[in-house]
Amino acid sequence: MAKQFGFLVDSDRCVGCFTCAMACKNQYHQEKGVVWRQVYPLTQEIYPHRERAFYSLACNQCEHPACLEVCPVSAYYKREADGIVVHEQDKCIGCGNCIRSCPFGAPKYNPTLKKAEKCSFCWQRIDAGLTPMCVLSCPVDAIAVIDTTEPDAPGLLRDVPGFPRQPSLNPSVRFRLPKQPVVIRREDI
Amino acid sequence: MSTYELPLVLFTVLGQLSIGLVCIAALCRAAAPAGVPQSLFREWSVAGVVLGAGIVASIFHLGHPGGMVRTLANLETAWLSREALTLGIFAALLVTGLFLMRQDKESRALVAATCVAGLAVIFSMGMTYSPPSFPAVNNILPFVFFMITAALLGSGAAAAFTPEHARPLVLRILDTSLIIGLVIYLAVPCIWLSGGEIMKQTGQLWLSSPLFWGRIGIGLALPLVVLWTMKKVPVWLWGLILAGELMGRALFFAGTVHTATNMGGLY
Repeated sequence: MAKQFGFLVDSDRCVGCFTCAMACKNQYHQEKGVVWRQVYPLTQEIYPHRERAFYSLACNQCEHPACLEVCPVSAYYKREADGIVVHEQDKCIGCGNCIRSCPFGAPKYNPTLKKAEKCSFCWQRIDAGLTPMCVLSCPVDAIAVIDTTEPDAPGLLRDVPGFPRQPSLNPSVRFRLPKQPVVIRREDI
Repeated sequence: MSTYELPLVLFTVLGQLSIGLVCIAALCRAAAPAGVPQSLFREWSVAGVVLGAGIVASIFHLGHPGGMVRTLANLETAWLSREALTLGIFAALLVTGLFLMRQDKESRALVAATCVAGLAVIFSMGMTYSPPSFPAVNNILPFVFFMITAALLGSGAAAAFTPEHARPLVLRILDTSLIIGLVIYLAVPCIWLSGGEIMKQTGQLWLSSPLFWGRIGIGLALPLVVLWTMKKVPVWLWGLILAGELMGRALFFAGTVHTATNMGGLY
């Protein structure tokens, strides 16, 4: 594989505005209740501060995708050139096996079409030399497209609290964790 | 797995009942004294009807049932495709066996092959329902659960057809399966409580569910008491075991926690 595209999720920058999720919705007009990108707040156990922190997550374009492996009708394939996992909805029979099997909850059930669907990484836009809509729309540049075959930039992590660790699938996502808030005490002033 | 998935509950339970009945009936015949004529036709006929009902039920969980024939497309990696293949082989062998039995031409090799195919179906089912997204059952447990179902329902159903000489064997299989089922179903959720966050949540959900205690009480403990006191298998007892299995399977699908439900939280 020449490249393996994935998302960089910069939790230090993310403000939880949901613009990425809305941009995705505007682009693809998913059915009501079907969300390809979701913004998850970190719980108090992981980020115990008054400030909040978030992960904006969609399909992680895994190196060994569970959806692709379990689909009985081969409705998924992985692009050789960039590792994007594509779901061919025409082939889908709506068995729900990919939905049950993906540990990240990326494939969703479309109740109108009675088929699964998921984030496409905006592969049509990628092919046209554009960036995915979520990346384009983020007002604080908290999401970016990265090539995970390249060495990780300093400060980026693969396994972080609040995200299921699945080394056998090797999700193509990297995180930058939020900084700890600066505590200013009276004696510091 | 978040919803009760009733078509899958019926498909898996009825499929395992059919396989259990085929295998235990074959075992009873193998253990029969020499010279005792014994046809498997009645047991296998019932198993065939039950399997057919299960397959019909499975269609209802598909968004597009017309695509069912294409489920063999990914035998390379998908256990669901392998499940469909092994189920097809089992059904074909079962029908062939029935056809031969009707003509008084039973084949021991065919009976053995059908039993092996049935066990392969249960193994494939176990692998299909143990994906990485459900840490509590991402292991051998689904296969173990399904084998218990096959042994319980198979021996319970076989008891209705069993001739006198094989009754102690069927009683022993049912008795042992009930004890093993009781121990496993009580121990497993408690073990989950000491696991990771998702496993712990699954254990808590199971232990707090009426379905779990219904399954333990109605499907395992009560039948065991009845069996020990009456020393035989009344027909209604099989109904209790079936009710317990259906409750247990509904809990398996609805009460097993998915990793994605805790995104942003502890794992």
